[in-house]
Amino acid sequence: MTHTHIPRISGVLRSPITFSVLAGLVIGALFLVGTGADPLTAYSAVLTGSLGADGIGSTLSTGTSVLGMALALAIPLRAGLINLGGDGQMVLGGITAAVTGLYSPLPAPLTVVLALLAGMAVGAAYAALAALCENRLGVPLLVSSLLLSYPAVSLASYLARYPLKEPGSSLPQTRAMPDGVALPAFGDSTVTIGLILVVLAAAAYWFTDKRTAFGYEIRMTGLNSRFAAYAGVERRGLTLKLMSVSGALAGLVGAIGVLSFPYRFVDGSLTAPGYTWTGLTAALLAAAAPLGTVIASFFFAVLAVGGLAMERTTEVPRELTQVLQAIVIVFLAARLRFPSGWFRRRPQENPQESPQEIGAV
Amino acid sequence: MTPQPVDPAVELRGITKRFPGTLANDSVDLTVQRGEIHALMGENGAGKSTLMSILYGMERADAGSIRIDGREVTFGDPSAAMAAGLGMVHQSFKLFDSLTVAENVVYAAEPRRFGLVDRAAARRRVRELAEEHGLAVDPDARVGELPVGLRQRVEILKLLHRGARTLILDEPTAVLTPAEADALFAVLKSLAAQGRTVILVTHKLREVLEGSDNVTVLRDGRVVARLVTAETSADEIAAAMTGRAVELDRVHAPGTPGDVVLDVRDLTTDAVHDVGITVHAGEIVGIAGVAGNGQSELIEALAGLRPVASGQVSLKGRDITHASATERRAQGLAYVPEDRHAVGTAPAASVAENLAMGHHRTSLSSKGLLPPASVRAHAGRLIERFGIKAANPEVPASALSGGNLQKLLIGRELAHEAPLLLVEQPTRGVDIGAIQNIHDQIVAYRDAGHAVLLVSAELSEIRGLADRVLVMYEGRVTATYTKDEADERALGLAMAGGAVAPTEAVD
Amino acid sequence: MFFDSDLLMSALRALTPILLAALGGALCERAGVFNIGLEGMMLMGCFTSVATSWFTGSAWLGVLAAALAAAAYSLILAVGAVTLRGDAVVLGIAMNLLAVGLTSFLLRTVFGVQGTFDDPSLAGLPLIGGFTPLAYLAFVAVAVAAVMLSRSVWGLRLRGVGEAPDAAATLGVSPAKYKYAAVLISGVLCGLAGAQLALGNVTLFSENMTAGRGWIAVVAVMLGRAAPVGVLLAALLFGLAEAAGFRLQGVGLPQQATDAAPYVVTLVALFLSTARRRRRTANSPSGATT
Repeated sequence: MTHTHIPRISGVLRSPITFSVLAGLVIGALFLVGTGADPLTAYSAVLTGSLGADGIGSTLSTGTSVLGMALALAIPLRAGLINLGGDGQMVLGGITAAVTGLYSPLPAPLTVVLALLAGMAVGAAYAALAALCENRLGVPLLVSSLLLSYPAVSLASYLARYPLKEPGSSLPQTRAMPDGVALPAFGDSTVTIGLILVVLAAAAYWFTDKRTAFGYEIRMTGLNSRFAAYAGVERRGLTLKLMSVSGALAGLVGAIGVLSFPYRFVDGSLTAPGYTWTGLTAALLAAAAPLGTVIASFFFAVLAVGGLAMERTTEVPRELTQVLQAIVIVFLAARLRFPSGWFRRRPQENPQESPQEIGAV
Repeated sequence: MTPQPVDPAVELRGITKRFPGTLANDSVDLTVQRGEIHALMGENGAGKSTLMSILYGMERADAGSIRIDGREVTFGDPSAAMAAGLGMVHQSFKLFDSLTVAENVVYAAEPRRFGLVDRAAARRRVRELAEEHGLAVDPDARVGELPVGLRQRVEILKLLHRGARTLILDEPTAVLTPAEADALFAVLKSLAAQGRTVILVTHKLREVLEGSDNVTVLRDGRVVARLVTAETSADEIAAAMTGRAVELDRVHAPGTPGDVVLDVRDLTTDAVHDVGITVHAGEIVGIAGVAGNGQSELIEALAGLRPVASGQVSLKGRDITHASATERRAQGLAYVPEDRHAVGTAPAASVAENLAMGHHRTSLSSKGLLPPASVRAHAGRLIERFGIKAANPEVPASALSGGNLQKLLIGRELAHEAPLLLVEQPTRGVDIGAIQNIHDQIVAYRDAGHAVLLVSAELSEIRGLADRVLVMYEGRVTATYTKDEADERALGLAMAGGAVAPTEAVD
Repeated sequence: MFFDSDLLMSALRALTPILLAALGGALCERAGVFNIGLEGMMLMGCFTSVATSWFTGSAWLGVLAAALAAAAYSLILAVGAVTLRGDAVVLGIAMNLLAVGLTSFLLRTVFGVQGTFDDPSLAGLPLIGGFTPLAYLAFVAVAVAAVMLSRSVWGLRLRGVGEAPDAAATLGVSPAKYKYAAVLISGVLCGLAGAQLALGNVTLFSENMTAGRGWIAVVAVMLGRAAPVGVLLAALLFGLAEAAGFRLQGVGLPQQATDAAPYVVTLVALFLSTARRRRRTANSPSGATT
């Protein structure tokens, strides 16, 4: 029994993911020592601060946004496409939800649903625009999605500061949503049913990836796009579909943000926490695999929330967690791993590592 | 021949090289005299390439010694071999397409002036070398815009510029028309006459007999014959190469054509002009031609991967001229592409996933659902039916050998039982055992009543399998032969453009 | 008047950091390394230049340190993509993220502030005729890069390495060496670009102060086809867009509209350039036949 498990366990230990995460934690510890803090105290503060009774709610509500964005970026990434415009799509989704929430004549519960759908629709349309730039105009998706993001953020910022600005407020924010236009929260926490929506999206992604012909086509496109095209998978159509789904999810995250505390669109509040980049990091770490994306998102949400607790107890700036995140991806991208001898008893033929064709833009 | 100098130009003694699972070179001796053209022959996988890689410093031998002009040497890399006067023209050219001829020739051995490249001197040098050796080519042309024959000249000029005394050419005529090949041999002969040495790595009998002084034949990593060209024959060399009487030219029995399956009329697309083809059920139609005469573009257009500019394509009477690749497959088309690594498979995906492609929307799924169990079961069936050697269906396709990967690809496409099979270079780089197996599969597929359109650069393959042979030259079908008419001479002439009306003759 | 010498001056000021970074990106592109880590390298340059200038009192030492630090930082890309054959796109993204995190972290640990560090006594670069010496250097660098790439032995070999590394290797030219050189030079240039941003027309460091300029430099490389003069023209276009944006702000347009201007101009320029290229390739005869 144990014999058959050894290659598997050593495979997990030897995987570049394990190496990257451990290397990130070790380098993080060096930073901590460098700033005069005790790494053990700091890391345990991260864990208690994020998973303890005081922090778990915050971790889950942060996790909602991180997982949402991670899914948004993982889905195209599974086909080798990188959407760098998550911020723009998310913010447009948020501002659309805010407008819908403020001006919809429907009863509050229906308005909530409408605001979510409208946010998703606008996010999807904007991401589709980036896909069209690649499909029709030949501008690489990586660049078109990113460049489109900036004007979208500027537009939302303008709307929140001028036409939709809350009268009399000194803050760049819209009026608060009318009574009842809010996602139901669990107890008196900040965790809303937005979390359920995002988890459902993850489940749908898992099912599509593992059990459907479409999911198979996405995976094969990611592994070798010419192979998929040869067998009839139409790349432009796939790009458009995946980007639309991606943008819809980003829009959903924006809408959830507006329909949760503080129940309004505040300029910068969606982009400042860096959900897009954290989400992209999580998706990359998991090689866009559905379950892995969920786990990685939770890991990064723990880091982000725990980072605040760490700052309180050790006075080490919470930006350290951002450094840690990026280091993990640097190691991962460089495909570093533990030397082959470490976890293996006897040499065995090592089948070629699945090279991701992410770089193929 | 020039008088024999004391020391041979190249002398390999007891070269042995082992790769996991194979003994690529088994104490090989090879002696090449200065001023001769020496042919190194053997089938795919006989160990020719390994031996030349060792000579050229790209691989290290496990045992054995190398002497150049009598001095023992060890080369750590190709530049060391170059410094010793060796030069190699690789089968796939190693050129910089966007650079000029002159820049390519002097690259890494540039004439300099004030630390900059002396472009005038580089041009002059190319002109001088070209004139001296009959290798005329415009020094200012971009290499990417040159035809293949001229690119090969650039490769040779590169070596001459570096003062190579021994030239190694790996399958130099694979991409040439017979006329271009003749021109090449004229150049090689004049180089030999000046006292340079040429090692010709090839598996083509004709050019060995016409162009070389001596022949060394390798089989299974061992030297099996050393022959003087003038005293040997095609049969003797072929027997040595294969270890049996010329069995490779085995010709399969003709099929019995039925209804028209594929009807192509006046098809024009990139590099293809007004091509008309019909393929019947129970028939293999072969397309012969030197690589780069529009065959790949034609097949891609038929497979729906390249838009058709004009003309008409119908499959079993239905117009598919502008149908997508998926629609064509649904109408009954399967396709084995030329490049099995970059196009025909996803090497990082599992064997099972590779076998599912194309079946994933049809037999394996219902209502868009693709149960993993049916993917596994499908893989198990094909692995058994086509004798694919894989540890299990979950290993990545990259773990398969070339021959097994090709079996995977061909098996997957045959399993569609499509009325029409497009197949390109089905046995390129595949060992002899697998070749036989693949040929038998294709013939059996035809005999089951399917239509097959075969593109191959191997004349023996075309002649062995095809019921009718079309020759493509410069994007047009220039000749059609029945199985009986398609002898090597007729095909060779047509492939060189010999069947074209005199007004279109080149040069 | 809208277009006048002031506009041109402010366009030239705006283009300097983009031009320096894009030149580095162009060299990498020519050597066959897709460098999208320009933004991160620049940001490292920003922080290092400010920190060094602050602690030594010399803006010039700040410039030197920025160049060295960004070059050291660029080694991540060189080692990761060239030696370890990792994915350059992912590495570049990670480097950009790491730079944001690292500089924010250091801003708090070294200066004890969050957001922005500025101090009237922070030494900036001198201005000569309204421009920093780095601005002049950027133009000199265009000329040097153009000559080096097209005429020098080094440039010829670099171009060869970028186009067909295995062909270069068979001739004894080590592709890795040239790729490393290109990446390191891009690091130096990005460091200078960062110093220009942080010690040039303003003297301060703020979190993520590059604000997408590195990405614009990436696009400038594409637009300029990785040729130094092409990159200069592309950078000039963005400089003009940014300067025009400031000018429009003066006539009452909201800041957000003008913030977005360079990105919109960039995207439109990309459309036009790719459309033109595609039309040209569509018309050219196929090269497959002789």
